[in-house]
Amino acid sequence: MIIKDAVCPFCGCLCDDLDVEIDGQKIIRVQNGCTLAESTFTGSTRLQAPIRRTASGWEMISYDDAITDAADILLSSDRPLLYGWSSTHGETQSFGVHIAELIGGVIDNTSTVCHGPSILAIQEVGHPGCTLGQVKNRADVIIYWGCNPTEAHPRHMSRYTTFATGFFVPEAQRGRTVIVVDTRRTESAEIADEFIRIKRGGDYQVLSALRAIVRGKGNVIPNEVAGVSREQLIRIAEICKNAKFGAIFFGLGLTMSAGKYKNVRNAIELTDELNRHTKFTISPLRGHANVYGSNEVFTWITGYPYAVDFARGIAFYNPGETTAVDILRRGECDAALIVASDPGAHLPHSAAAHLAKIPTILIDPHQTATTPLCRLQIPCTIAGIDAEGTAYRMDGVPIRYKKIVESSYPDDADLLRRIHDRILEVKGV
Amino acid sequence: MYQDGSVTVRVILETKQRSKPFLPVEAESIIPRNFLKGTDLTVYEGNKERALSEMFWIFVEGTAVSPDKVEVVLKGDTARIKRVGEYMDTGSIRIMGDIGMHCGNFMSGGLIEIGGNADAWLGREMLDGSIICHGNAGHYCASGYRGEKHGMKGGRVEVMGNAGDFCAEYLTGGEVYIHGSCGDMGGVEMKGGMLVIGGDATRPCGNMKDGTCVILGRVQEMIPTFERIERRVLPEWKITADVYKGDVANRGKGTLMVNTSGLV
Amino acid sequence: MTELLVKNACVFDPLNGISMDVMDISIRDGRVVESVSATAEVIDAHGCLTLPGGIDSHSHVCGTKVNFGRYMSPEDMRAGRTARRGKMHVTSGYYVPTTFGNSYRYSTMGYTTVLEGAMAPLEARHTHEEFTATPHQDMMANTLFDGNWAIMEAVQKRDVKRAAAIVAWTLSAVKGYSIKLTNPGGTEAWGWGEDLTSIHEPVPNFNVTPAEIITTMIAANEFLHLPHSVHLHCNNLGKPGNYQTTLETFDLVPDRNNGRQTLYATHVQFHAYGGTTWRNISSKSEEIAHSVNAKPQIVMDMGQIMFGRTMTMTADGPMEFNLYCLHHNKWSNHDVELETGSGIIPVLYSKKSLVNCVMWAIGLELALLTKNPYQCLLATDNPNGAPFVKYPEIIGLLMSKRYRDEEFATLHNDTGQRTIISSIEREMDWNEIAIMTRAGQAKALGITPQGKGHLGVGAEADIAIYPIRCRNVDPSTEYRKVIEGFQKTMYTVKRGRIIARDGEVIVEGANSTFWVNPSVPEEISVATDPEFVRKFEEYYTVRMGNYPVQDVYLPRGKCIRTEVLP
Repeated sequence: MIIKDAVCPFCGCLCDDLDVEIDGQKIIRVQNGCTLAESTFTGSTRLQAPIRRTASGWEMISYDDAITDAADILLSSDRPLLYGWSSTHGETQSFGVHIAELIGGVIDNTSTVCHGPSILAIQEVGHPGCTLGQVKNRADVIIYWGCNPTEAHPRHMSRYTTFATGFFVPEAQRGRTVIVVDTRRTESAEIADEFIRIKRGGDYQVLSALRAIVRGKGNVIPNEVAGVSREQLIRIAEICKNAKFGAIFFGLGLTMSAGKYKNVRNAIELTDELNRHTKFTISPLRGHANVYGSNEVFTWITGYPYAVDFARGIAFYNPGETTAVDILRRGECDAALIVASDPGAHLPHSAAAHLAKIPTILIDPHQTATTPLCRLQIPCTIAGIDAEGTAYRMDGVPIRYKKIVESSYPDDADLLRRIHDRILEVKGV
Repeated sequence: MYQDGSVTVRVILETKQRSKPFLPVEAESIIPRNFLKGTDLTVYEGNKERALSEMFWIFVEGTAVSPDKVEVVLKGDTARIKRVGEYMDTGSIRIMGDIGMHCGNFMSGGLIEIGGNADAWLGREMLDGSIICHGNAGHYCASGYRGEKHGMKGGRVEVMGNAGDFCAEYLTGGEVYIHGSCGDMGGVEMKGGMLVIGGDATRPCGNMKDGTCVILGRVQEMIPTFERIERRVLPEWKITADVYKGDVANRGKGTLMVNTSGLV
Repeated sequence: MTELLVKNACVFDPLNGISMDVMDISIRDGRVVESVSATAEVIDAHGCLTLPGGIDSHSHVCGTKVNFGRYMSPEDMRAGRTARRGKMHVTSGYYVPTTFGNSYRYSTMGYTTVLEGAMAPLEARHTHEEFTATPHQDMMANTLFDGNWAIMEAVQKRDVKRAAAIVAWTLSAVKGYSIKLTNPGGTEAWGWGEDLTSIHEPVPNFNVTPAEIITTMIAANEFLHLPHSVHLHCNNLGKPGNYQTTLETFDLVPDRNNGRQTLYATHVQFHAYGGTTWRNISSKSEEIAHSVNAKPQIVMDMGQIMFGRTMTMTADGPMEFNLYCLHHNKWSNHDVELETGSGIIPVLYSKKSLVNCVMWAIGLELALLTKNPYQCLLATDNPNGAPFVKYPEIIGLLMSKRYRDEEFATLHNDTGQRTIISSIEREMDWNEIAIMTRAGQAKALGITPQGKGHLGVGAEADIAIYPIRCRNVDPSTEYRKVIEGFQKTMYTVKRGRIIARDGEVIVEGANSTFWVNPSVPEEISVATDPEFVRKFEEYYTVRMGNYPVQDVYLPRGKCIRTEVLP
């Protein structure tokens, strides 16, 4: 049987045009997706049952026991950290926030190691953006800055930009100019019309220079900025000013190089400046399929998109202080709940290592690099495969994950609801 | 920095040993004014409320008459105690060792003296008063809060050692004097006030709108959108400096003065 | 079976002609009934002002751009924060509160039903998720069609039935309530960074004018028999001299409906400017009110501004960008493919600004010059003009000339030269306020058949009891009591349950979402039209099958079905 228009739960592209072929409750083939989609759907073995660490190894326990254990650990903590959330759906994320509020803990999501800086920049200067269809239908100039979509978002260019046909760009690639900016010549640079190579750590200076040129004050900048010639900068500024519709996409090259959120801010301010001449938008290339969902859910409940601290009974937000990496690196938390994420693999070692020193609960369908760090792991469904729910695409468009197959695993939303209710019960609320 | 004779009561708080010393403590109740009524205050350790006496040995010398004559002394393992001096408006606080984040937040008067290092966000959103740190300051020294248009509006922050990244971000008024070096992007988004860096700086004053910054050491990676106006002798700093206006990218009219022997 | 008896309520129920009657209200299972048994729970209103639950007919509280407003404003989030307390969750935000913040603050003010001002169909799922997290108000969504490509194509072909079929399909797919047009045609022009300056200027590439979009959509709306009329944010919002556009627009509107208006014009204050530049801007409220007084087919809301900081957020992308160019505050923009746009930017309305003082006067003038209170409703386009927590102050201003004069004295010196507010003597009475804050909204939105906006037998028991002894309070002089009274109810009852008491929300909520499923004859339905489907799949970036909002998003949805005229 083929399930049409399935939604891929891997990356921020949230492609919703996949045809997934199943045989009984087993996924056998995926059409229309990229290779990342293929491996996501036909993926690896999953943990069979909840497991708890003992002195001699691991023991399998019941879901009821696992939930009681988890609630007990969280209840007795003075500074619990709830982290992850990007690979699951909205209902689970909501419960996470409510639990954190109940127990006076800190809740953070994977923005912290990815596009947190983009959010900080937006909080300073706003976000002049649009949905991906605007880019597909109108953009004649596309800039990829500090990201390599060919590898990390393989269908971005074919669904939304370079190779896509749009209402006003029927000739697709022939009607578009693609500019790639990076510190090295990536695969994405190979298909670009213009490649700008920047010296590592120099993005901020290049963006400042471009802003000045667009303003008409190019005379103040030197002959070369961070390895880029003034001549190339002026040419790029001209291409941008003459565009009918320009779209900038950016990734970790901006968010994780020196200056971080200031780099993104500068790119946004360049976009603002260009809007005085023509139509220009800027958008972050979100990595995880539903990290934006966790930002949205956290925000409408608490007011903040990540790094929320409930220790004082109010919602307090201060990245650098209430972010998971900082809390873990400083050894500040005394218990942790990890949901739908793999900090063992993605956090700096100095941070991830702390998880092994405290009681850590992991809710994840697979054995991952985080499993050796935790005390208790509870397997659950995989959103988009055996659980449905809401996900938010990188441009904010909400799409509902389909349930492709049935399984006997509990939905992680259900698990969290039960932990939440148990905490309420014990607290006598 | 002040005469002992002006203090009529000294409250000495010495940290007790904690079973979980890595938990942060939030102690915004530790401001001189609060000790007029006694020492029956609370602080937070993680999500637990604790009496001051649970966390500190408390010694009081003298009798409190008015808040401006109250001096609070902090001793012991104070590096993780946050928000000391928050909203302080008078009196003095002396920390013998290191101090945690947000020391002197929203301060509008009085004096804070730190013997050791200060963690991030020292003097955040300060309005007036004086902070002196004998050691190093962390990131965001004398800065603002996320999303606000203005940062520090008045007062004086002096760091004898080095400061971290984003020092004096959004500086709107007052003075910040770092004797040592700054990390990345000191003075970024400045729009008023005075920032002096005795040592080196990297990419200073990005997006500057107004205000004055003087750098006595060396500058790494000057932002390319500052317009050099002239070379001038600065007798008060005993240097010759290149004077720049900018940040041109941001329609800025700030003044950045860099020691001529300092440009790399 | 749950019963509640409200004793000694001083009731104003304009839709049932009740005015300052002290009476008991009997409630069973969420509805007003004739009488209840002796075992009913009893609350005593002590002769205090009792009104049907408040209804906000235009407020931005849920959805993509509202959430944008929150997460780009951590400084506002911390300014308005409250701690977890009893049944109440943590809240954050002063001018863009979190969903629970909105819900608790509305409850405290006695509001029980809200129309979300703007929902882009493509992002409807987000709006519905936030509706569920605004648990103490029944919600419904104005659905944006102003830049809709399929609609503009139908308008170009002068095909009203086609436009109606598209509206029908879209409203039922995304579970929307009504047709919203924001700067019609202008939001599509903004897709290229442009705007339209006249309702007769054609939209680039689509060859239709705003006037044509408006008239076609009005015809489609009436053809479908929708409960609410077309809801319009006129072109040229905020521009000096724009009152001409507003009058021209009003002149387009026929009288097509016996039960309600044919056009709801929203936040008209922003559309009532004379002059040619910011320097000579003046109030044209008299001209606007004159037009509306002669046209029973038009209902408007004030769009009152109040001084202080707030956040502007509308689908009117180009207008928001203009504000950015003026004030250089942080600016967000979010254009939605094939549908509409949006922009967000914080503002400060200051008494030192003559322009802002004129704006403040205009909103009040519109209300006071409109003869029939059903035709000018109280709203601030929350949060654009001011956060909704300022409604009580607006009530105070409408009811008291003295209060208006006192405020006027603190404004810019030249305000009197540009406005007529200081010469208006009229003071609204309790009945008129009840109309402007609930009865009028219920009628305009078409929700009286659902039992909203009145307290007759059969009505939903949404009740607000304010601590105001209206027989003993003279609102003309004791406006402080009026304002304080409207800020915090003694009781707010929702569907027969006491949900708030003296400012505390005491139970978990279980709201409903109203939506409309208009049926059209099979032969004009677009769902099976190959051309509609082909264009959808080709130009959108989501699949048509994934676009409709699934039932699960409306746990207590209330679907209103309509049939076309024969």
